[in-house]
Amino acid sequence: MIGRVTQQTTQRSTLANLQKNLAVMADLQNKLSGNTKISKPSDDPAGTASAMTLRAELRANTQASRNIDDGNGWLTTADTALSSSLDALRQARDLTVQGANSGALNPQAREALAVQLEGLRETLLSQANTTYQGRHVFAGTSDATGAVTIVKAIPAIPAAPPVAAVPGVAAVYTMNGTGDPVNRRVDANTLIRVDVDGAQAFGPIAGSDSVFATLDKIAQTLRSGGEVTNDLATLDVHRDAMITAQGGVGARQAQVLGAETRALATKTELTTQLASLEDVDLAASVVELQMQEVAYKAALGATARVLQPSLLDFLR
Amino acid sequence: MSSFSGLNTALSSLIAQRQALDVAGQNIANANTVGYTRQRASLASIEALSSPSMFSAGLTTGNGTGVTGIARLGDIFLDARVRAETGSASFAATKADAYDRLESTIAEPGDLGVSDALQKFWAGWEDVGNNPGSGAFREVLLKNATALTQRISAGHAAVATQWGQTRTELTAAVVEVNSSAEMVANLNQSIRGVLVSGGSANELIDQRNLLITGLSALVGASAVERPDGTVDVLVGGNALVRGDRASSLEINANSLVMGSDVTVSWTGGAQLGAEAGAVVGMVNVLATATNGGVLTGVAASYDDLAKNLITTVNTQHGKAWTATGAPGGDFFRPAPTTAGSSAAATFAVAITDIAMIAVGKPGGGALDGSMGDDMAQLAKVTGGPDAQWTKFVADIGVRSRSATQSAAITEATRSNAEGLQMSNASVDVDEEAVNMLTYQRAYEGAARVLTAIDAMLDTLINRTGLVGR
Repeated sequence: MIGRVTQQTTQRSTLANLQKNLAVMADLQNKLSGNTKISKPSDDPAGTASAMTLRAELRANTQASRNIDDGNGWLTTADTALSSSLDALRQARDLTVQGANSGALNPQAREALAVQLEGLRETLLSQANTTYQGRHVFAGTSDATGAVTIVKAIPAIPAAPPVAAVPGVAAVYTMNGTGDPVNRRVDANTLIRVDVDGAQAFGPIAGSDSVFATLDKIAQTLRSGGEVTNDLATLDVHRDAMITAQGGVGARQAQVLGAETRALATKTELTTQLASLEDVDLAASVVELQMQEVAYKAALGATARVLQPSLLDFLR
Repeated sequence: MSSFSGLNTALSSLIAQRQALDVAGQNIANANTVGYTRQRASLASIEALSSPSMFSAGLTTGNGTGVTGIARLGDIFLDARVRAETGSASFAATKADAYDRLESTIAEPGDLGVSDALQKFWAGWEDVGNNPGSGAFREVLLKNATALTQRISAGHAAVATQWGQTRTELTAAVVEVNSSAEMVANLNQSIRGVLVSGGSANELIDQRNLLITGLSALVGASAVERPDGTVDVLVGGNALVRGDRASSLEINANSLVMGSDVTVSWTGGAQLGAEAGAVVGMVNVLATATNGGVLTGVAASYDDLAKNLITTVNTQHGKAWTATGAPGGDFFRPAPTTAGSSAAATFAVAITDIAMIAVGKPGGGALDGSMGDDMAQLAKVTGGPDAQWTKFVADIGVRSRSATQSAAITEATRSNAEGLQMSNASVDVDEEAVNMLTYQRAYEGAARVLTAIDAMLDTLINRTGLVGR
């Protein structure tokens, strides 16, 4: 009795089979058109968790790239500023060497040297106040209007005749940096300092003034007809400090560029992993869809045949 | 044995074959009626008269045939199996359906889910930390934070909506159980009446079976046949229908808000002891979180996520200073402390002024943003909001998958049981055609017998005694 086949059972099982075929086709089509293997967590719970973690890592990677670009900008700016500052300092040293040749200089020549030195001081000041995207790269986390605060007003250059010379009253230069570093996260575990401590690069250094005050002092001494030979050593100290600072910048920039390369590699790797996890294998899916279509057509053909004949066709 | 008794025998056959043909006609008419069980006229030969008299003739033939009844070719065991499988299948389907709807509101993995909002939120802190002086990045952070709170509270609201819809469906289902039970009781009464008066109640029995299968799908009902033709419908061992009396179910009062305890019990009596059926599935989905309720559990997960974010972010924010050197206040509005209120539903950003976003380390410069980076690193903390959410999504995925699989398996079993029932009970048109042929031929034969006897009598009556005429 159980083996009995009737029109209704045939129709039902046929319908169920067609339904099954269609469902598989719809699923394949869904995957193909959405181009994703995991459209909801239950499609692949473990894969979902991995995909979510990968997406988070990809996002962190994107952020790290932004941080790297930003940090690179800071370091490049600081590097350029330090190079220009070193040039200016070198010229200042040459001028001081000329000034040290005291016997051969008349007061006008000394005055000319002093004015030139003051001009170089201005150059250095403007380099020290260099900004990157509105931030002073030598001021650390301070929000002061510049990296250097000048307490005594200095006549603008060129102001002829120079009036800076009130003997014994020198301008006071204060570096505004707090000493706190400005850091950028270049990968999950690395923070890199992207600013330069203004005090380290421009002084005041232990036992001497800032580079600006030193230049002021040399100009003053030249005007007053004094001897500047001893100041050469001080200038060398400043030069060394600046070179050290630039060296540090170079080293850190190399670190940032290395991180950039790594971030790019990581990004490629993460994207590949995510794609292999989430994306549909197009070729395989299309072939599968074709096969499914053939199966569906066969089922349709069988249905058309199986439900057609009846005994009634053969009774007169 | 009378000379005319042969006519009667042929007549009985004519009547019986015509009735049998009628039954075949009824079968063909209902070939596509849902729930119809094929019928067959039971024919029986009528025994010969045997009068215990001294002069009764010796050997007599029988007295023809007669329809003793119209049999309903159902099988109560197959029916019982269909009912049992229907109960568990609809229970599993209800749960799978709930998970399916739930998954569609989660929107993971992808760019529309909570995890995406979380990542944008953390990235916003990194940007503000890099550019503490820029108002634009602070605005972006605030927008990202608002988007995050909205996604979480929208997720919670979607769960609450689903709970409400399921609760409404439960009410409808219980109403359907009660009305179906009432109808089964009425049918029981009618069937008993018909059977007592000797009629055929096959069509009514088909209707009743359909209703009982419906009850199985709703509350996992089973049926017990009784000798008087009625059926007792049992749910969890108690009678939903006994003879012509039906009991009813009710949902406990004060159960219209998510989080309240939802139970289905006998009207004015004990809790329903059913273990299968859609009603039980729905009660399971609606149950409180402590009782393993699916939806309330998910809502609680949203709450936990919101609470975790509020605590983690506010604690870190309190450690940092704003540009003016004031310690950061609450970044997210604190979770409500009153019992029964949801942290996810009220999840919102507390800060309205972008200057109140604190990313500086205490005592640092006004443009210090190092605490912004510290905040962004919370994304990777073990047990932090991101890890919690990922675990939750994977967990839902696993549970949904197993619910779907168990629904597919129970549905296959049910469909198999139904197939067996149908292969026994459904009408086969070919078979009926053959039956019709048989009955038609028998009818023709009986008519021929009638003609033969008639011719015989004609010979006897009209041609006898004419010798020599």
